[in-house]
Amino acid sequence: MRVVRLLALPVLLVLAWWAVSGSSFYLPSPDRVGRAFAETWFSERLVLDVLPSVGRLLAGYVLAGLLGVGLGVLIGLSRRLRATLEPVLEFFRAIPPPVLVPLIMLLAGIDTPMKVLVIVSGCVWPILLNTVEGVRALDEVLSDTCRMYGVRGASRMRRFVLRGASPQIMAGLRQALSIGIILMVISEMFASSSGLGFTIVLFQRQFQIAEMWSGILLLGLLGLALSVLFRGVERRVLSWYYGSGAERA
Amino acid sequence: MLEISSLGKVYESRGRRVEAIGSITFGVGSGELVCVVGPSGCGKTTLLRCIAGLLPASAGEVRVAGVPVTGPPPNMAVVFQEYGRSLFPWMTVRENVELPLKEKRLPAGRRRELVGESLTAVGLIEAAEAHPWQLSGGMQQRVAIARAVAYEPQVLLMDEPFAAVDAQTRADLEDLILRLWRDLGVTTLFVTHDIDEAVYLGQRVIVLSSSPTTVMEDLKIDLPAERDQVATRSLPRFGELRGHVYRQIQRARGTR
Repeated sequence: MRVVRLLALPVLLVLAWWAVSGSSFYLPSPDRVGRAFAETWFSERLVLDVLPSVGRLLAGYVLAGLLGVGLGVLIGLSRRLRATLEPVLEFFRAIPPPVLVPLIMLLAGIDTPMKVLVIVSGCVWPILLNTVEGVRALDEVLSDTCRMYGVRGASRMRRFVLRGASPQIMAGLRQALSIGIILMVISEMFASSSGLGFTIVLFQRQFQIAEMWSGILLLGLLGLALSVLFRGVERRVLSWYYGSGAERA
Repeated sequence: MLEISSLGKVYESRGRRVEAIGSITFGVGSGELVCVVGPSGCGKTTLLRCIAGLLPASAGEVRVAGVPVTGPPPNMAVVFQEYGRSLFPWMTVRENVELPLKEKRLPAGRRRELVGESLTAVGLIEAAEAHPWQLSGGMQQRVAIARAVAYEPQVLLMDEPFAAVDAQTRADLEDLILRLWRDLGVTTLFVTHDIDEAVYLGQRVIVLSSSPTTVMEDLKIDLPAERDQVATRSLPRFGELRGHVYRQIQRARGTR
């Protein structure tokens, strides 16, 4: 029953696609796209385009995570630092990251460092601001408990600060993941010779319409896989949070 | 064991100066159980936080075993009123009790022993692998008590620990505290707003005035050492003491 409910809508969508396909050169049928998908992506493109893209995404995402959580904890723990930095941070967060691509190209060239930097520059803000919020809202009674029972330094950081802020940190990481995928593609659409974004633009320019569609499909599947993976990690990390019903409060 | 001398606390913020505690002086002898009662808003929690070293005093000093308190003393444990917020929700009951022992760098064997003993003493050994939020309020407070006991403190502070549990659970927890105190002989300071509870538990009851707080009376509770929820509470002397403290507190509220 569950499987039926899960698959019903995707099957319907493919059928609808089938029905309208063929009416236009730009809308090939699902089997055309499916064949193009297999031919295009189960080839050396997997190694030359897909893996480098995903690698840059993960590198940028991990860097943004370390930077965002690290700085977020520092800022969250210090009231003075927070008062000084918060307006500036809100400003930087408000800048749409794609407009930074030309700038970062000037500073970091057009190779992998540029692309990773673009991803970091977009992903870091939601992680940073959510971490600040989570650390700021740590429970005072728990904080007093730590002081009374001699929980301090690295132990306090690991067992209290990071765990206590983890619901907000995870929320930031979830937002950052979708931003990261968008920026991965965008960074490859500017001056690039490999990667998923580059390939899709290339197919479009060469009127390989089915191949172009298969690239979009691949991006969708990639996003879906990453979000399923993320949800699995989140369930584990935040099991206490969902169990305690705190998210409803 | 615990000496509080001329303790004062003034909260100062822009243009406002609130004298929460005027001057409080009293002592708690080694192995004694002393209750502190006072009218609501008299700074009981402020007093306790000053004694625990969580809040710097504005005047006077607190000494634990002769050592002046400047931060939380290593030989002191606290049971907070907000049991739901003083246990780590991401840790199991066992981990919550064990954490302070890890910070004390006790060897694993000794830790296991202390955790087992203290959880057995509060009747929660079965729930060791549960998370705090899976337990009722009274059980959560028992975990907090077990954590305090396992820490083997010389001084145990309790800040209205039973204010948020139902009456039946409250009676059970009061008797649990009496039993643990007798078994361990730990010096205990119990802050409460409940006059009955103070008279029932304490060997002495310190009655506080309203803010700026001073000690109104240091009352010896001359009830039989063995306390019982029904027998003790129906003694004529219990009624007298309770009435006396009640009138004192009414007077304290009147002089505000």
